[in-house]
This record gives sequence, C-alpha cells and structure tokens, in this order.
Amino acid sequence: MAKRGAPRRGKRPATKPPQHGKGRCLHILRELSAYIDDELSGDICQEIRRHLGACPNCEDFVASLRQTVSLCRHSPAPALSSADRAFMREKILQTARAR
Amino acid sequence: MPARTPKNFDMLYRDHVDLMYRFANRLCGEPDAAQDLVQETFLNAYRGFKKFRGDAQISTWLYTIASRACLRMRRRRKGAPERELSLDEFIPTSEGEFRLQIPVDGLSPEEALQNKELRQALDAAIDKLPKKYKMVLVLRDMEGLGAKEVGIIMGLNERAVKSRLHRARLFVRRELSARGITDATDAHDHERLK
Repeated sequence: MAKRGAPRRGKRPATKPPQHGKGRCLHILRELSAYIDDELSGDICQEIRRHLGACPNCEDFVASLRQTVSLCRHSPAPALSSADRAFMREKILQTARAR
Repeated sequence: MPARTPKNFDMLYRDHVDLMYRFANRLCGEPDAAQDLVQETFLNAYRGFKKFRGDAQISTWLYTIASRACLRMRRRRKGAPERELSLDEFIPTSEGEFRLQIPVDGLSPEEALQNKELRQALDAAIDKLPKKYKMVLVLRDMEGLGAKEVGIIMGLNERAVKSRLHRARLFVRRELSARGITDATDAHDHERLK
C-alpha cells in the first residue's frame, strides 16, 4: 500500500523497488478478497505475492484483512433455547391457521 | 417438497430452525428481531410448500425466504435508501490504519474472540454495514456458503456477490482498525464465552 502519512517505523527497510507506487497498491487492494479466497490464477497470485514482499504496508493490510475474515468465520452465535423453539413453532402454526 | 401438513412442517422446522435462528441473529443483531424473522421465514415457508420445486437445497430456499423477509422488515422500519460502499473510502490514509489495532497476534480466532470487547467491536462493525453488504458477508463468511449459492439467495451473479463481499470485508476491517482494543490480556483471560 503506498504510503501517504509519516515514514513507517519498524524493522523493515525503508527503500522500495522502483516499480512500486500507489497505483499498484490500489490495483492490489481491489484483488485482495479474491487473493485470500484463492480465486485468482497462479500468475496473478505470484504478481501479488511479489508486490507484498516489496510493500510492507500492503503486506500488513492483507494480513489484517485475513484476520478480519477469520474473526467473522469464527464469530459465535447465540443458540435458541428449547422453550423459545417450541414457543415459536406454536406461534407460527397459530398464525398460519388464523390467516 | 411434500404436501403442506403439520407433520411435514414439523420436520422442516425441527431440521432447520437452529440454522435459521443463527442466520437471523447475525442479520438482526438482537434476539427479539431474530425470532420475528425466524417466525416470518417459517410462516412463508409453510405457505410456499407447493411452490418449492426442489431445484435448490431446502436450506438455500429457507435462506432466500429469510433474506427477502429481512429486507421487507427493514423497508418497513426505514424509508431511506441504503448507501453504496466505494473502494476508495477504504484506502488507508495514515500509518496506523494498515494493521488491526486489536489483540489477535499469536492467538487463534477462537482465542481472540474470547475477548468480550473484541466480540462487541466485531458485532458493532458488522451491524453498521448497509444491509445488502451485511447479508453477503453473513452468508459467505459467517454461514460459510459459496459465492454461487449466495448469488442464488440474493438474486445476484457471482461477480456482484464477490464485489459486495470485498467491500463488506474492507468495511469491517476498517471499523476494527479504527476502533483499537488495547487491553487484551485481562479480557482474554477472564471473559469466557457463555
């Protein structure tokens, strides 16, 4: 992801390969869901992997998107109690008979 | 689909009510509205027994009924059209926005989600999504359906499903990133799922 703010602090080198730029990052951003869902061709995946290796911000971004998806996939949902299950069934049948 | 009888309805209800309640809860975000949606879904299914031709799985048919009922219920509550999400709005503009400022490093998703604050932040982020994006995210990433099945349910082609899903994920990612949860350890150690 092309840097817009202050210089990045961290372990990674500050230098970027010459082909790197904001336009490239935007192109990658559009493809990231397809990339993490493994829906892209091998060539495009390789291109994205190359870009990620050269762009720490994009690498962080894709990691954070993966984490987001993973949290959604594992997010718990409350279960229905037996009492509510029976109550709703009765109510549905009553309404169906009444109409 | 067999004839519309209380016995056949009971089988349909027994086999799918938990699935539909989970879906409804994720869409509505609160138990009372979820129960209303489940009742509306099974009532419509009961009436529509004869229309079901068996082209799709019964669960796909029920998801479709529930999704339409949810959109109808929303329209009754709010008249304003839903906003579209643009990719441009998700481009980070400062250094802190590239990573999630939440405690997930080194934890499995299940472990991370034992943090109540994180669960609440995730629920709030999903709840803020415009409904049509939320539906795609819930069906695809939470219910685990394929893009093709989500397309059947929502009346969209796969390309549109993937486009909405991408925007929905970027929206939730940005909300989590903006929120920031710093006090990870205490909440993780002491807050267990009920």
